Amino acid sequence: MDDEGENEFVTEQVQEIAKHAINSTLTNVTYTREKVNQWCQQIIDSCLKELSKLDKPFKYCVTCIIMQKNGAPLHTAATAFWDTKTDGLCCMQVGNDTMDCIVTIYAMQI
Amino acid sequence: MERKKVENTYITHPSYKDKFRPQPVKEILREVLTAKLDQAQYHADQTPVLTKAVADEVKDRLKELHLPRYKLIVQVVIGEQRGQGVRVGSRCFWDGDTDTCVSEVYRNETLFCVATAYGIYVY
Repeated sequence: MDDEGENEFVTEQVQEIAKHAINSTLTNVTYTREKVNQWCQQIIDSCLKELSKLDKPFKYCVTCIIMQKNGAPLHTAATAFWDTKTDGLCCMQVGNDTMDCIVTIYAMQI
Repeated sequence: MERKKVENTYITHPSYKDKFRPQPVKEILREVLTAKLDQAQYHADQTPVLTKAVADEVKDRLKELHLPRYKLIVQVVIGEQRGQGVRVGSRCFWDGDTDTCVSEVYRNETLFCVATAYGIYVY
């Protein structure tokens, strides 16, 4: 059950994946209602693709929130009932001039 | 310390009655959201606490369903309504037979709330 080293959830690694996915989609774009669906899907897709390439025994959940910037605040909370030794989550927040994007990745070892 | 040895159960699927079903979970989400947020106004200091309280409450209620071998995740997003556009999306890389995700949205005059619960089966 408690694997050492290779099969661990490495937060930094996953964080890089999330950051890369957001940056490649949302640099130099402004918030457009028609496009936001597509962006959201694109970000989640590329996260999952990279995660599956890691070849680790995990199930993944990826959520993506894109919110237009107009001064309105947003709060997120996550609670989990799982094995803290093997499972983990990582959160990445990137914003540009017109929108904020928060990606949360949960990983559960099989 | 002596480690307890556990025999392999070879269980790969939840039994019919122990499955994580979307319907009761959706009801729990709706109940908790209405109960907690009905009178709530958006408040910069209190809403972060409220967000956590909602997530904890949902998790506790889900635990009461006594679903063996299920891991649970609850995510709650609360934001103030100022006419801004928001898009919340979620996708998962898992076993579609056993794992489920349920989502519920609540809105009142000052805030909106999206609560999502995931149930992941441990083999």
